[in-house]
Amino acid sequence: MKHNTARVAALVLLVAPTIVWALDHDNLDPNRPIAIEDAYVVPQGEIGVEGGVAFNDRRQGHSQFTFQPQLIIGAFANTQLELSSDLLTDPRSVVGDDKSGNLTAGMLYNFNTETLTLPAFAARVQLGFPTGVNAQGVDTALTGVMTRSYGRWRTHLNVGYTFLGSPQGQERSGAYRVVAAVSYPLGYPTSFRDTIITNIFTRQSDVVGQRNPTGLGVGLRHQLSSRVVVDGGIGTELYGPSNRSTVFGTIGLSVGF
Amino acid sequence: MTHKSIVVIVGLIVTLFTGSVLSACAEFEPRDKRFYYRALWNFALRENLKELDIEFNGVDFGHSNLYENLLLTGARDVSAIEEKARTQTLQFIESRPVLNPNEEAIAPTYMKLAWKAQNTFDEAHALHRATYDIYVSDLADKESALRKVLAFYQDSAYAITAKRLDHRRLDTLPYSKSFRRKFPLFNATIWAYHYLQVVVYDALATASDLPTKQKAVEPILTTYHGYLDTPPVTWTFMPMTAELSPKFATEYPEIANIFDNLHMMHDTISDILVTDLLPTWEDKRQEIYRVTQAYYWASADATNPFIVRDGHQHHPDATPAMKPGGQGGHSGH
Repeated sequence: MKHNTARVAALVLLVAPTIVWALDHDNLDPNRPIAIEDAYVVPQGEIGVEGGVAFNDRRQGHSQFTFQPQLIIGAFANTQLELSSDLLTDPRSVVGDDKSGNLTAGMLYNFNTETLTLPAFAARVQLGFPTGVNAQGVDTALTGVMTRSYGRWRTHLNVGYTFLGSPQGQERSGAYRVVAAVSYPLGYPTSFRDTIITNIFTRQSDVVGQRNPTGLGVGLRHQLSSRVVVDGGIGTELYGPSNRSTVFGTIGLSVGF
Repeated sequence: MTHKSIVVIVGLIVTLFTGSVLSACAEFEPRDKRFYYRALWNFALRENLKELDIEFNGVDFGHSNLYENLLLTGARDVSAIEEKARTQTLQFIESRPVLNPNEEAIAPTYMKLAWKAQNTFDEAHALHRATYDIYVSDLADKESALRKVLAFYQDSAYAITAKRLDHRRLDTLPYSKSFRRKFPLFNATIWAYHYLQVVVYDALATASDLPTKQKAVEPILTTYHGYLDTPPVTWTFMPMTAELSPKFATEYPEIANIFDNLHMMHDTISDILVTDLLPTWEDKRQEIYRVTQAYYWASADATNPFIVRDGHQHHPDATPAMKPGGQGGHSGH
């Protein structure tokens, strides 16, 4: 564990100086800081760089640290293109679609803004290329996203399915995931720099025959400056396979320019 | 083709089909957010003239908070607007915010009611911010930068017309003046913001360096805070750029027109949200969209009946230009 902490500290030191500029703190992106995104994309023309370090302390097996760099581009009207990767400290133990070093290209398209009668809807298409450790085949993920607000409370629903291009051993060939979340801007009417988010999630296990990892998380996004948002989150998997998370968390930065 | 590939393709088709069906719905509106014009001078005001930037961050709260409260109260509760909402606004300004607030958190209901109008405001406010940044930056060729941000702005479907509109006629719509008659204090507070937003241009242009610019805005801020403390309820019309920054209006008439039209559009929407002639939220939404698209958007220039086409002044009895920061203020019509 101490060894891993040192690696994470090194990663943070490597990343932090390279990131000087962010995205709105109420625009939710996956894993920044918890597994939920809203139906809105970054504005057309914006370029965002996001990075975070996540830890995952499991009930069984090795704890892991993950570095999650991501590039986001508001390439077209209502369309966001993304390039990302996950780099894990124990890459050979990974099962499922999140292989360490895989390069993932994604597109999030926002169909509409929310009105008094209609929620906001978006769709994500994501391709995971087998550039990582033990990776084979191109994984494809489709996700539907909905955001509906009630006063200042915003609710979000992500429903997705991942098709593994080349499942190995007992890996599933495909798995669904469902995440529901609520976000709220803290501080009205005197401060508008923080958004708190909490989620509950369930997803099919990576390996056939295991129970769905199911849990909850909570996170905070804080607008640090005009262009920089910092985030932190923590969560746990309450149900699931024997190697489910006892606790997981992340800290990260988003920079828009 | 494998079974899996077929499932993926079917999923994509279903997603696209769902999107298309949603697009056909009457209330289906694209979000269309656009990033600001990217340049080295971005945030120059925030970095170099913090005192003024803080005031503009405070101003951003006012309109959104007003619109949300007008909607939620049905504009029937005078004290909810004149006292509670106005006090909230003044408190936010007094909090000296170093970042502009998230307006969707201030007015979530209004944003859902009239997103197109809000996006119109957002883009025009970005133009305001860009011009301040340029004026405060150390750019040698400010004119060229101003022309570029104007062109970038006008490239948007949400751009407000750069033509001169006949504001006096726009102020004679059936519901015009509803807001200022019912809520004179808040209206005067709004006009005080508009005073600040346009009076600073000539002051900043005249000053050659940052310390001088800082000095130049000090009396303006004193006057502005005087207006917040004692709202100028005797004004009968909103402050106009040509009166408060005549040099800027002469050199950049298109930008000045956009700002005057933006401020008039704020007043028009305030009136729509107050009037009983449009009793339901849906009535108000439809009218906001009608006037936005037919009278304010540049895309309606060919048919807009309020564009001054014969060269006449749109409010010829305006008072002469005032000294920036002068306590005389805007006397209007």
